[in-house]
Amino acid sequence: MITIPYLTALSTYFSYGLLFAFGQFRDFFRKIFDWWQASNLQGYAPICLGLEDFYIRRLYLRIQDCFGRPIASAPDAWFDVVERYSNDNNKTLKRTEKISRCLNLGSYNYLGFAAADEYCTPRVIDSLNRFSASTCSTRVDGGTTTLHKELEDCVANFVGKPAAVVFGMGYVTNSAILPVIIGKGGLIISDSLNHNSIVNGARGSGATIRVFQHNTPSHLEKVLREQIAEGQPRTHRPWKKIIVVVEGIYSMEGELCKLPEIVTVCKKYKAYVYLDEAHSIGAVGKTGRGVCELLGVDTADVDIMMGTFTKSFGSCGGYIAGSKELIQYLKYTCPAHLYATSISPPAAQQIISSIKVILGEDGSSRGAQKLARIRENSNFFRSELQKMGFEVLGDNDSPVMPIMLYNPAKIPAFSRECLKQNIAVVTVAFPATPLLLARARICISASHTKEDLLKALEVISQVGDLVGIKYFPAEPKKQLQHQEQQPGKDTIKLE
Amino acid sequence: MANLYVKAVPPADLNRNTDWFMYPGVWTTYILFLFFSWLLVLSIFGCSPGMAWTIVNLAHFLVTYHFFHWKKGTPFSDDQGIYNSLTWWEQIDNGKQLTRNRKFLTVVPVVLYLIASHTTDYQHPMLFLNTLAVIVLVVAKFPNMHKVRIFGINADK
Repeated sequence: MITIPYLTALSTYFSYGLLFAFGQFRDFFRKIFDWWQASNLQGYAPICLGLEDFYIRRLYLRIQDCFGRPIASAPDAWFDVVERYSNDNNKTLKRTEKISRCLNLGSYNYLGFAAADEYCTPRVIDSLNRFSASTCSTRVDGGTTTLHKELEDCVANFVGKPAAVVFGMGYVTNSAILPVIIGKGGLIISDSLNHNSIVNGARGSGATIRVFQHNTPSHLEKVLREQIAEGQPRTHRPWKKIIVVVEGIYSMEGELCKLPEIVTVCKKYKAYVYLDEAHSIGAVGKTGRGVCELLGVDTADVDIMMGTFTKSFGSCGGYIAGSKELIQYLKYTCPAHLYATSISPPAAQQIISSIKVILGEDGSSRGAQKLARIRENSNFFRSELQKMGFEVLGDNDSPVMPIMLYNPAKIPAFSRECLKQNIAVVTVAFPATPLLLARARICISASHTKEDLLKALEVISQVGDLVGIKYFPAEPKKQLQHQEQQPGKDTIKLE
Repeated sequence: MANLYVKAVPPADLNRNTDWFMYPGVWTTYILFLFFSWLLVLSIFGCSPGMAWTIVNLAHFLVTYHFFHWKKGTPFSDDQGIYNSLTWWEQIDNGKQLTRNRKFLTVVPVVLYLIASHTTDYQHPMLFLNTLAVIVLVVAKFPNMHKVRIFGINADK
């Protein structure tokens, strides 16, 4: 539930209206100029239909320097950001030779595996020498090595399911699996804030799609009852299959899914549960096994568990874990398994080694330390930001914390001012988020030390005052109470 | 007054082009915008208040007709063009008719017409232009006009 000050909502609408009006004026004049100039493109079809590039040309390109900044080192807690400049008002950006060392608050580096690790990296280099950088074939042809089998067993064991299958890319895992497990005549009910990969996969499957209000099990129940009573559109026959798709941690809100209630609702109406743990696997839970462990849900109740290795494990790729029959079926039918190149062997080795570190099987307690550190860091950072008066979304224990900005002008202001003080943050605006709710998303990592976090807090507080995003009243500092009790050196006692 | 907060519940609308209309504060912004544009017209042209309201009404007619009922599709390409044959009016509220938002948007041109014709004392030619504006706008918003293209004007190729 996001609380907006009313005047901020009004001014945000007004700002977007102004930007839109300016964009339309410039397009209008551009059309007039182009009509006067002769063009040699007679008979060519237009690249964009209608106005579909309006947002990119007139809104995104104005602040293009805040997005897509190139980096020149591994995305560890501190990294090198390449400086860019523009001569034509951000239409094109040119890279310079200079780099600046910045604190990384944007990478999904939850457990700190993004840079070289003392256990994982030597083993990854070994497997690179042994298996080479790519298998150069699909899983069914010649792309299944011993590493792949070990990886699938390892993942199934870690997640808590009988079997698992691993793919080379995280986005493709969602968009290639959903068309395979459900088709026309089925129903997909997905949360309104689900990731684009799920939306693409659902659209590609041909099933009917219905959306329920974000994280509201009562609305999910209402939608389920309505859809089961009506049946398929037009023929009103019963649905062949119903799948409810939810995510563990929503990457734009930092909220945890209300999994126990949703699983109860689905069991009552006999729908399958598909859980996408892209951001929560390895980052939450006592031993890092994700949102099921954190919320106390039995993994046998969740039918299909999907996740990616890009966030907590420092690698690439995605997995699906489920029953042995499901995984066997997927291996026969899923195009990502039959026709796509299998996951690269060094990447697979990185995942295996990082899972071993998390579980403590490498003989040290670094995994448990990392998990404890990320939990402490997230809770400390979030509570400090809230005390300063920022509006921060997300539940406790979640390492993703979006700070609300709202106004479109504050997005580049916040981003550029933070970069000047060597803090790199990621800002997200329309259309990834709703129009009103632009935000700066901070991802905490286990490799951030306390000093890093304190520096970040100081800079963000300064920039927040400058930009004006402290929408809530700040809590009074506790030190003032101590000072009042002790008589200061410069107070004169009147007797 | 400055600390008046509202709660923003994310609506279950997948169309990013129209879901912003379901958040709090839109109606107030719309009304305030019309009022301030009337003040602006008054201060720039120095005409009578009635003339200013007529100008606001006609400008409102042109702008809302163009953006609500003429332009089709969405200004970004992330939705792969599934709304490319629908105008903004046909997209809001997922195509459901007679919702609160639609009723509000139908009432605004009528109220503007009443204000404009009252303050100009129902004189021609302003009355004719204002009446034309309100008839076109209100007819375009009827539920029966959903996806109707008269004489094939503005239809897809």
